[in-house]
Amino acid sequence: MSTQTPAIDIEKLRKVYTRGKEEVTAIQEISLQIPEGKFVSIVGPSGCGKSTFLHIVGGFIPKSTGTVRIRGKEVDKPGPDRGMMFQESALFPWKNVYDNVAWGLEVQGVEKAKRDEIVEHYLKLVHLWDFRNNLPSELSGGMKQRISLARVLAFNPDVLLMDEPFGALDAQTREKMQVELQRIWQESNKSVMFVTHDIDEAVFLSDIVVVFSGRPAVIKEIIEIDFARPRQLDVHKTQEFMDIRNHIWDLLHQEHSKSGEDEF
Amino acid sequence: MDKRLHKIALIEVVVLLVLWQLLAMLQWIPEYLSSPAVIGKELLAMVMSGDLFSNAAASLYRSLLGFLLVAVVGIVLGIAAGYFKPIGVFFTPIVDVLNPVPKIALLPILMVWFGISDTTRVLLIFLTAFFPCFIATQDGVHGVKQVYVWAAQNMGASRIQILWKIILPAALPKIFDGLRVSLGLTFVMLFSSEMIGSSNGLGLGFMILTADMAGRTDLMFVSIFVIALLGFLFDRILLAVRARLLWWSENRG
Repeated sequence: MSTQTPAIDIEKLRKVYTRGKEEVTAIQEISLQIPEGKFVSIVGPSGCGKSTFLHIVGGFIPKSTGTVRIRGKEVDKPGPDRGMMFQESALFPWKNVYDNVAWGLEVQGVEKAKRDEIVEHYLKLVHLWDFRNNLPSELSGGMKQRISLARVLAFNPDVLLMDEPFGALDAQTREKMQVELQRIWQESNKSVMFVTHDIDEAVFLSDIVVVFSGRPAVIKEIIEIDFARPRQLDVHKTQEFMDIRNHIWDLLHQEHSKSGEDEF
Repeated sequence: MDKRLHKIALIEVVVLLVLWQLLAMLQWIPEYLSSPAVIGKELLAMVMSGDLFSNAAASLYRSLLGFLLVAVVGIVLGIAAGYFKPIGVFFTPIVDVLNPVPKIALLPILMVWFGISDTTRVLLIFLTAFFPCFIATQDGVHGVKQVYVWAAQNMGASRIQILWKIILPAALPKIFDGLRVSLGLTFVMLFSSEMIGSSNGLGLGFMILTADMAGRTDLMFVSIFVIALLGFLFDRILLAVRARLLWWSENRG
C-alpha cells in the first residue's frame, strides 16, 4: 500500500432523500480526502447533513451517487475497517463492560487468549479496566463514551468515525474527554473523521477542520490547524486559536443569516 | 419499599375477607354469595378427598400446554415477522383481522374439526393467548435501537449473529410483557374452554358448571379461588424467570 493513498477518499458524494413525492437534497456534492493519521473534524450548521455524511461513510445509510474508498478500497456497507462511535451510547445494556468490548473480537473469530489481551489493553488505555465487570447502566455518560471508544479501537479499524460523541456530555466532562481523546488518538495513530457542532472542540482536536455549508451540504472551507501536540486546554486562550475560532464562527453564521429562517 | 407494598397487599386481602365474613354472618348479603369460612371448609374437604388436585391438574395441563404453544409459536413468528420484512408484511393483515375476533366464537368450528376434546380446548386457549405474545414480540423487535444493530454490523456481525445476540436480548423485555398478558389469558380461557362437554370431564371449569347446576355456589367459589391462586402463582413464576433473564435490565421488575 503506497503512502500516497488517503485513509478516506470521498469522491463526488451526493445524497438525495425522497419524502413522498418530494426530493430533498441533503448533500449537494462532496469530495474530500483524509490523509493517513490525521484528525479531521467536520463542522456545519445544525441539520446541514454532516451526520448523514458520516453515516454514509460508515456504510449505515446508502448514498445516492459518488464513491467512498477506505485505503483505496471502495465500500458501501458497514465493516470493521471503519470504527463508528455514535452520539448516543451504543453499548449493549445486557453485556458488561468487558463483554461489550470483547464481543466484536469474538464475532471476528479472535481466539480467547488474544481477545483477553486486547480487551485489557484498551480498557486500560481508557482508564476503565477497574469497571470491566460493571453494566453500562452503572456508568456515567463520559465513562460510557470512553468504553465505546475502547470497543471501537479494540477491533482495530483503519479509520475512526465519530458522530458528536461528546454531544450529550456536560461542558467540563466534555473538555476532559477532548484531552483524553487526544491522548488516546496519539497513541493509536488512527485517522479520524469527527463530526461536531462545537467549534472549540473541532479546533482544539483537529489537524484539519472542514466547514460544511447549510443544506444541501457543500464544503465551504478547509482549514488547517497546526498547534503543537499534545495540546493543553489553555491553547483556547491564545490569540491564534481565537482567530481561527472566530473565522469558523463567521463562516457558520453567514449560513445562518442566509437560510436561518427555518432553523429554529 | 417493595416489602411495604407486599404488606399493604396482604392487609388489603385480609381486610376484604374479614369484611365478607362479617357481612355473611350478619346475613347482610344473600346466601348465594357464601362466606370465606364456608368456602374454606369446602376447599379443605376437596383437598382432603383429592378431588381438587385431579381437577386442577387437568385444567393446568391444558392451560400450560396452551401457554407453551403460545410462547414457542408466538415468539418464533413474532421475531420472524419483526426481523424479516416480507414475513411481517405477510402476517400483518392476518393478525390485524383476527386479533379483535373473540376466539370463543370459533368454538363451533373447532368442535366440528376436533370434536369435544382436549385438542379443541387447547387450541381455543392457544388462539386467544397467541396474539398478545406475537404482537409484543414483533413490536419488541421493531423497537430495538438502531444503533445496537449498527454497532454490531460495524463489528462485522452476520445477520444471524445480530438476530441471536442483539435483537433477541434487546427485544426480551417486550417479549416478557407479551408473555405475561398471554399467561393471564390462558387462565381466563381455562374456564371458557371447559364450557363444552361438561359434567363428565375433569377440570376447574367443569367444577364451576357442575356446582352451578347443583346450586352450590360455595363450591363454585372454591374453583374460582383455585383458578385465581394458580393464575397468581404462575404469574409469579414468570416474573421470577423474567428477573433471572433480564438481570441486566433496569425494569426487570
